[in-house]
Amino acid sequence: MKTIGIDAGSLNIKVVVLDDNKITGYSIVPAGDDGTASAKQALENALVLQGDACKTVATGIGVKLLTFVPQQKSITTCLARGVRFLFPSVKLSIDMGAESTTVIKLNDKGRLADWANHDKCASGTGLFLQQMAKLMAMPIAEMSHLSLKAQSRPEITSTCAVFAESEVISYVHRMPPTPMPDIAAGIYYSVVSRVMSLCKRVGIEKDIAVTGGVALNTGLVTILEKEIGTKVMVPEVPQIVAALGAAIIAGENAQKGITQ
Amino acid sequence: MTGTENSSQIVSLIRTFKMLNRFNRTRSDARQSRILYFDMLTEYYTQIKNAHDAGKMIASHPVFFPAEILYAMDIVPMHTEMTTWMDALFLKEQGELLAKGAELGLAPEICSPHRGVAGMFALQKVPRPDIILWSNLICDNTAKFGELVMQITGSPGYFLDNPFQNSPAEMSYLVGELKDMIHFLEQNTGRKMDYTKLSDIVVRMDHEIELYREISDLRKAVPCPMSIDGYLELLGADYMFPGQPASAKYLTLLRDELKIQVESGRGVISPERFRLMTLFIPPLYLINHLADIYAGLGTVSVVEPMFTRWSEGRLDPSKPLESIALKSFLLPERRSMYGLFGQTAINDITESAEQFKVDGAVYWAFLGCRHTCATIKIIKETLNDVDVPMLTIDCDLVDPTVNSKEDTQSKFQQFIELLEDR
Amino acid sequence: MLVIVEMINTKLATLDLFKEVNNTFPKTKEIVELKSKGKKVIGWLCTYVPEEIIHAAGALPVRITGYGQEVELEDANAFMYINNCSFSRSCLQMGLKGEYEYLDGVIGSSTCDGARRLFDLWCHYISTPFHHMISVPRKYTEQAHTLYYDQIVLFKKSFEDFMGIAISDEALLDSVYVYNESRRLLKRLYELRKLENPPITGAETMEILNANFRMPKELFNRYLNKLLEELETSGIEHKCRSRLMVTGSVMNNPEFIKSIEDLGALVVTDELCTGTRYWSDTVVLDGRTPLNAISRRYLDNFPCARMVPSDERFNRVLDLVKDYRVDGVISQIIRYCVPYAHDVPLITPRLKVISVPTLGLDVEYGTSGSGQIRTRVQAFLEMLEAKRK
Repeated sequence: MKTIGIDAGSLNIKVVVLDDNKITGYSIVPAGDDGTASAKQALENALVLQGDACKTVATGIGVKLLTFVPQQKSITTCLARGVRFLFPSVKLSIDMGAESTTVIKLNDKGRLADWANHDKCASGTGLFLQQMAKLMAMPIAEMSHLSLKAQSRPEITSTCAVFAESEVISYVHRMPPTPMPDIAAGIYYSVVSRVMSLCKRVGIEKDIAVTGGVALNTGLVTILEKEIGTKVMVPEVPQIVAALGAAIIAGENAQKGITQ
Repeated sequence: MTGTENSSQIVSLIRTFKMLNRFNRTRSDARQSRILYFDMLTEYYTQIKNAHDAGKMIASHPVFFPAEILYAMDIVPMHTEMTTWMDALFLKEQGELLAKGAELGLAPEICSPHRGVAGMFALQKVPRPDIILWSNLICDNTAKFGELVMQITGSPGYFLDNPFQNSPAEMSYLVGELKDMIHFLEQNTGRKMDYTKLSDIVVRMDHEIELYREISDLRKAVPCPMSIDGYLELLGADYMFPGQPASAKYLTLLRDELKIQVESGRGVISPERFRLMTLFIPPLYLINHLADIYAGLGTVSVVEPMFTRWSEGRLDPSKPLESIALKSFLLPERRSMYGLFGQTAINDITESAEQFKVDGAVYWAFLGCRHTCATIKIIKETLNDVDVPMLTIDCDLVDPTVNSKEDTQSKFQQFIELLEDR
Repeated sequence: MLVIVEMINTKLATLDLFKEVNNTFPKTKEIVELKSKGKKVIGWLCTYVPEEIIHAAGALPVRITGYGQEVELEDANAFMYINNCSFSRSCLQMGLKGEYEYLDGVIGSSTCDGARRLFDLWCHYISTPFHHMISVPRKYTEQAHTLYYDQIVLFKKSFEDFMGIAISDEALLDSVYVYNESRRLLKRLYELRKLENPPITGAETMEILNANFRMPKELFNRYLNKLLEELETSGIEHKCRSRLMVTGSVMNNPEFIKSIEDLGALVVTDELCTGTRYWSDTVVLDGRTPLNAISRRYLDNFPCARMVPSDERFNRVLDLVKDYRVDGVISQIIRYCVPYAHDVPLITPRLKVISVPTLGLDVEYGTSGSGQIRTRVQAFLEMLEAKRK
């Protein structure tokens, strides 16, 4: 049975096609101004033909726009399904997306037991890191790589992204200048701290996974592993985990005869 | 005395309550107790509006304060935080009140109702109280806001010191404080305490607390007969009319309504899919929306341990002051919000979860309330131990910019999915 | 210039001893040694805990403080939530991380919401063997004194049971003597700061006060005596642009004071729980039993903002401004420190009346005073100078 999951994120629309428990296609398309059009583009890219009568579940912050998909599920449930599918031993999963970070805790049955997020805060998210990379005048990948070379790191004490920016600027322009690797590490460490706070709210338990676009930032993930005290599991395509979960739920719903 | 009195806000509130009830009375499905609640509010604020004209004094006081003492001395009480809430809920002026509070120099970390109270008095929205009363039940905010209000209004004031723990010496201290306060009130209002009246009040208060216990027990029924939209109303009876006929009238009516529901097996919603425990209070402006959200999700709030579960104990009218002191120790809030947080508080949470057959819990993390937020993790762990998941929502009680209806809806959606998925 | 400053510092060799204690806290040499000898170490919170009782039982009282700088408090944030003051969270963080694992007891007082919840969470999550909470009234009436005395008696009894020892009146008198001596020495120290050009900075004073909470009082008294001799013969004179007072609740990071003093001002006094509020008032026997005298002193102590009426605190602040000829006040309040925040609109007009400008700063516990704070203090100092012209 073929099912589809669509995650309408703030930055990108992600689509996963699942066929008999195997991912047969996926696509990541910028959301742009027209979420519905972008979603349809993503479906095309993932090789879903027009008129394919597949069970579909949608999720994500822009889910309301996807009126053509009647079945919707919240992001936390989808993340739980998706990450459990990829890593059956996972108990704690940290999703770091463009605009928000969500930590989910799974129970022994692999079901969602608890979650925590900073929904009013920009710190620690993809967009914040993009902004930081701009301040450092380098691509994210370069900054990530550089952070691994840090000898020490300056404290970035502000809990607010706005104030953190001015602290970073002062380190970049100081005389003598703080080494770029150190600043990068400092930024990542402050992000990791926010994440650690969330993790502690739900309780840290192995095994731990990291999902979302920011999971590709090896520099940040390395610092996270140091702080959390254990290696973390990162999927090959970390951005599609919620969409994968949605596709799984579509299958479950079909078996239960649920259509709405 | 009249004419120059600042009653504009009170007048507006009364008008609003009457209008709401005109509307309520046209609906065949309107709860009679809800109608009575708005009548109660009308009566409460009318007595404030008319106080000075009737030659009576007004004394303002905070939450969890023995206003029964005022009633026994024929002094008109003005509940400060509640009046600020009412303004925020019905007149939507919280922006103005909070801005004034900030202008006065009150930091944003201070509890918003208290910043609002200062703003309310500074903007002269209500008649000037002749006496300012405040106490440390239940936190630093109630303990500290009184002196600024005294400064703003120019009225004399008295601080009632509630001891932290419960022991004979501390009970005795509180009784002494009550005596001192009565003396202060007599000196400053020319009124005398009528101890016979006070004893009668104690009899009625004992009866009210028994009604609270009955109502709580009725909510254990499956399906639960009471909606969250009655939460604030339930608290309001004791806030406004402790030991006065009006509160017993309301509580009796509510109790009877619930009894009929329970006897006929009718719940607030059908089917009742999930039963929730509520910790602390939801943002006040969201309560009615919450009722709709819950209804849409087949959910009902069955117990609020911090606010609606009174401890065991009876009041003795032959010892009125001791009884009033005892009441402050029986308050639901006393178990987990004031005094040492220990096994009693923890047991109450697990017992509530069991007795009320709770499926999940929601903790309203009001950022202005330090001491309540400090127990989030302990209570979450306690609930998790009895297999009850808990949702935490950061919020503000009166500032509507902090939580939107959509946001709240989506959080509950997520939480219900979690409960469904178990 | 740098060389001269270093030479001056060697004149105050004892200061380094105090700094050593602070730098190695919580596991200082003395504490580790005392523990190895089987002595009990008891942590306490807030100035309403009568230390003399702990001392009289033969235990070492240690004030629970947080980290020396502003640090990430991830565990404390999860346990205590983000809206409790960073002082209480910092203390909790240290406790959760095992930094205070050697404590045999924790004594709390029901002073404010942050402190009482710190105590609640400490009891629940950290396995310190003995804990006791003292209920503290918010008033100074005779009734309040009766209640507080009753609480002290309860505490003494409970502590005696734990220590397995009876605390005699003689032992209490001895402890009172030691503590009063400490207070007198600190008073002598602060008297030097009343001079036109004091020989000691505010930052240095804070080091001394911090060490005070972390070592045996007898040893502290000996060191402070020595330091006072050094100060009185040093010939050091700190000239400054302005004489400042720092007010607020708890502060333990001398870097904050130093960052102000680096701008050319001198912090000549303070109104802090970790400063004058701690030592100013002595135990007066006046024919009372030692326990009674201790009880009286502690409730009537230089007030915390929690006490009613607030005027008692404000009057002490105004006295300090006068006695130390303060040009400006820096009122630093930790975010979510509710009692002190409520005092702001009450104390500001009182300071205005005596024409003393105040700079209000929102801080986090442990802040070093860099960046934004520096800029604002700089502007404040310029304003003070312009005012004097």
